[in-house]
Amino acid sequence: MSAADAGERPEERSEIRVMVVDDHPMWREGVERDLAEAGFTVVASAGTGADALARFPASRPNVVVLDLQIPEPNGVAVTAQMVQQDPAVKVLILSASGEQADVLEAVKAGAIGYLVKSASKAELIDAVARTAVGDAVFTPGLAALVLGEYRRLNDEPEPAREESQLTERETEVLRLVAKGLSYKDIAERLFISHRTVQNHVQNTLRKLQLHNRVHLVRYAMEQGLDDGTPES
Amino acid sequence: MSEAAGTAVVSTLLRALAVLRFVVLANTVVLYAQHHGRYPHATAGAWILGAIGIWTVVAVKAYDVPRLRRWPLLLTDLAVAAGAIAVTPYVKGDHFTGTLPGFWVMGPLLALAVCWKLPGGLVGALVVSGFDLGTRGEFDQSRWRDVFLLLLGGVVVGFVSGLLERMAVERDRAERSAAAAEERQRLGRVVHDGVLQVLALVQRRGAEIGGETAELGRLAGEQEVALRAYVQSTVPVADALDPAVRVDLGAALSALSTTSVSVAVPGTRVELGAHAGAEVTAAVAACLSNVRHHVGAGAPAWVLLEDLGDRVVVSVRDQGPGIPAGRLEQASAEGRMGVSGSIRGRIESLGGSAELASLPSGTEWELTVPKDRP
Repeated sequence: MSAADAGERPEERSEIRVMVVDDHPMWREGVERDLAEAGFTVVASAGTGADALARFPASRPNVVVLDLQIPEPNGVAVTAQMVQQDPAVKVLILSASGEQADVLEAVKAGAIGYLVKSASKAELIDAVARTAVGDAVFTPGLAALVLGEYRRLNDEPEPAREESQLTERETEVLRLVAKGLSYKDIAERLFISHRTVQNHVQNTLRKLQLHNRVHLVRYAMEQGLDDGTPES
Repeated sequence: MSEAAGTAVVSTLLRALAVLRFVVLANTVVLYAQHHGRYPHATAGAWILGAIGIWTVVAVKAYDVPRLRRWPLLLTDLAVAAGAIAVTPYVKGDHFTGTLPGFWVMGPLLALAVCWKLPGGLVGALVVSGFDLGTRGEFDQSRWRDVFLLLLGGVVVGFVSGLLERMAVERDRAERSAAAAEERQRLGRVVHDGVLQVLALVQRRGAEIGGETAELGRLAGEQEVALRAYVQSTVPVADALDPAVRVDLGAALSALSTTSVSVAVPGTRVELGAHAGAEVTAAVAACLSNVRHHVGAGAPAWVLLEDLGDRVVVSVRDQGPGIPAGRLEQASAEGRMGVSGSIRGRIESLGGSAELASLPSGTEWELTVPKDRP
């Protein structure tokens, strides 16, 4: 992935407030140290879902680096609640590779990036910086998951609504991301700008999250659970 | 191991039969003792019954040993029954109602049915009825009824024995699958939060420190991937070799990922028949081995699996210079089947196609395979 132009200078990074959630002290401390050394402001850390949600309102992080496998509530639930409380928060999933279904659920719940735990320190710092400015951080694995999810939605008996379908160009871009091409390579291959590639990728996530919310609301209405007033 | 479950069923049935053998032996001896005064060769008959008694004890002991339950024992047992029926006219005179062994013939007949199932029961019943009818030389209603009951008993017990054995084998297999899955889950939970995390950490720190430590990190990363693939594998161990079983191509391909090979798959299972799944996996492995050969040992490669409903598409991309157009055809024509055979051959034999594209950003195989219906 190409380096993002955001958050590259340390003085900008220090304005980025980061929260680290992981139940392994070894990992948590390692990630905290790496981020602090890179100039980010680590405002909080937590080892369980409950702790993370308790510390979230007061610490007001811009970016949450979140492990999915944490003591209850799990990473997916934590993502959903944090995004509901503060729609501006950016959740970056830092997870052991292979937790496919969980990663997809977390992304649908509002996470905008995914990085495997074996990623290097440089990749982690780059991912946090890009997440902070709202860039979707896609691994090839996440791109394949999102592609698969759209195809699954299209196969559902109830036809997918237009806004929850990918355009041909979006599908093309997502496939190339899944095949490991950098945004720069994709831009060159498709004769479009780097920014356009990024927009396409982001759109695929945005639509999926929108579909997920619409789906949840419809489900709630069908179940008669929509009596309460919405919180936001 | 499945055989053990079947053998256990046969052992249980034979032990039950052993009890029956002694009951019918006692019945035969008591009936003989009550009427022996009327028989022309009563003493010889008593000796024969004594021999049958000894054989009963020997047979019961022998049937308890699984490896002895073969034709010598089974046929000797049947021969004793047939012989005892055959000497009846000598012992009891020409006009007799019951044969000398009487109900005792049930033992050898049912042993045949238990060991050799339906065919054994049928053959045993035919032999016993044949000797019975042969010694009398007269057929009436009651003889036919006996023959009918013998056939019915032999066949039904043979059938039920076969059924019980199959069910025991099935149950045994199911239990082992469940135990294996449970163990894998348990292992998964334990391993997940411990070993895998440490391996990932070693990999990450190793790469940062560099030098020999980077090599350690790379090894740790490979082990992490392999261990995770095993722990997350969803195919039950016992079913892995069954051709009727559907396999998850996503899981199979994920096992090929290494620190330099990224494997991207959808979140849902991509099911193929076991054979097709193995062939596609082997073709992808061949593509990756090509990358190692022609681009470099640690050269990055990307595998993407897509499920398009009626077909699956697997793309394998690398950053190498590519293969000049026509080079593969030429190699194939020269008799060097390497790439064509292991990639094209496998995919085409599944009714699919394998396309190779050389692009500025690397080389890309696209393998398309139709989805077979379950």
